[in-house]
Amino acid sequence: MTTAALIEILVKVILLLGGVMTAAAYFVLLERRMAAWVQDRVGPNRVGIPLTRIRIFGLGQPLADGVKFIMKEEYTPAHVDKRMYVLAPIVILVAALTVFAVIPFGSVLPVDLGIEGLSEPIRLVVAPGMDVAVFVIFGLSSIAVYGVILGGWASNNKYSFLGALRSSAQLIAYELPLGLGILGVVVAAGSLDLEAIISAQATSGWWFILAQPLGCVVFVVAAFAEAARLPFDLPECEQELIGGYHTEYSGIKLLLFLVAEFLHMITAAFLIVILFLGGWHFWGLTGAGEQVGLVQAVLRVMVLSGKVFLVILLFMLIRWSWPRFRFDQLMALAWKVMLPLGLVNLVSVAILDQLRTAWQLDAWWSNPLLIAANWGICLLAWIVVAYAQPLIADNRPQQELELYDVDPQV
Amino acid sequence: MEPGLIPILILAAASLALAVGMLALGSLLGPRRFGRVKQMPYESGMDPIHDARRRFDVRFHLVAIVFLVFDVELLFLYPWAVANKDPQGLPRIAEQVGQGGGFSGGLVFAEVLFFVALLAMGFVYAWRKGVFRWR
Repeated sequence: MTTAALIEILVKVILLLGGVMTAAAYFVLLERRMAAWVQDRVGPNRVGIPLTRIRIFGLGQPLADGVKFIMKEEYTPAHVDKRMYVLAPIVILVAALTVFAVIPFGSVLPVDLGIEGLSEPIRLVVAPGMDVAVFVIFGLSSIAVYGVILGGWASNNKYSFLGALRSSAQLIAYELPLGLGILGVVVAAGSLDLEAIISAQATSGWWFILAQPLGCVVFVVAAFAEAARLPFDLPECEQELIGGYHTEYSGIKLLLFLVAEFLHMITAAFLIVILFLGGWHFWGLTGAGEQVGLVQAVLRVMVLSGKVFLVILLFMLIRWSWPRFRFDQLMALAWKVMLPLGLVNLVSVAILDQLRTAWQLDAWWSNPLLIAANWGICLLAWIVVAYAQPLIADNRPQQELELYDVDPQV
Repeated sequence: MEPGLIPILILAAASLALAVGMLALGSLLGPRRFGRVKQMPYESGMDPIHDARRRFDVRFHLVAIVFLVFDVELLFLYPWAVANKDPQGLPRIAEQVGQGGGFSGGLVFAEVLFFVALLAMGFVYAWRKGVFRWR
């Protein structure tokens, strides 16, 4: 590895860390303004430039929050397991940040800086050409479970413990639908590289949300659950568990947990856009090839970030539109709805894909035909789920229950 | 070591430095005050009765086992998903074995479908056993 390549990586890492942390801070402000808008309040709009009366829509709020968090007391309660207690926020933040190494922020930037040894054109991803990117994301997002369990266990608090238990069960339950949703995309694109998945959508012009609607639904629901956003925020539901696994945390350690959570949401938005919404591709605007001019390259970056922004807005709107699930409904949704739907999607996508290769369907009507078949399967699955009603279970305490009526499993 | 991994390791090291640096900054700049009540676990103002680390419901354990089974089995499908269409993958093997070898993409696909069917059978078994029932 040459020095120039190393410096390129370092510059990318610094830009990425700065950009992502700033983005997370300002998305917090956006979320608070949005919450205020939904609830007919004004929201944080007063912090501007210090010592002046200029307010600029509260854009100084994230900076003020950061300073406040740093100046707070760094407090460790007496009853905790000290090493684990400090380790948990570090683990969860490092895992949440490292995921961004394989996420492309655009395609390429065709500029010649005149430096020898620099790869050219510059690829807008920290670790370019990572052909197991999907596995890297899976592995690192699974480490988040360790952070949650470490935090909940080390806190030695009943709220934390319950939050960590629920959280671990939820995260591992929704990892299966997440994997099934991605597997359908991998079968169709034939690669685990996120850049290759985007270019597969760009060259065919059919985004995977159009080609695999069922897989998209399964993946989006699982991504919401993995990011622990409402309606899946059971790990830390304030009304029942105070703060869940971070009840005993305060000051900068709490900040690390909160930032990591926001980063999970941003990662989920990036994955939804890259896997199902065509990444940087937009019809008639960005082109599809590997060779791009400067204007097109910038357009691709803007299209990708615009899509990610819209998906994050969707996350925030859904937070204020849906009530939280009960825990048994959450588990039923994961195991009895999403997992079978994911399997159905995988099998149908694989069979249709195999038929296309076996019968050599290359005509102009073959793609729309196969996609129509996928939409039919999606509709059918929806109707079956609607009639079976697996989420409706009578959970009220039943006084007239006889002893032999109790499930032998319980 | 795989050269593609180096940027990921650098990013991991940088974010570790960021996290540790923020914690250090917080402990340097923040005030410190201690108190006997402040050191108690927070339980909405009640005095805690016992330790938090108690026995919990066995169904969490069942879910963990079922997760392990399905996750590992799903992992086996990824190599097929990548090798299926890659010209260096299954098509090349089929070409090398030739017509008489009895190897084709269709056969592999049938095996994959059989594998998924086995997975679905395990899933139905766990469902019938009541692993997914919470109440």
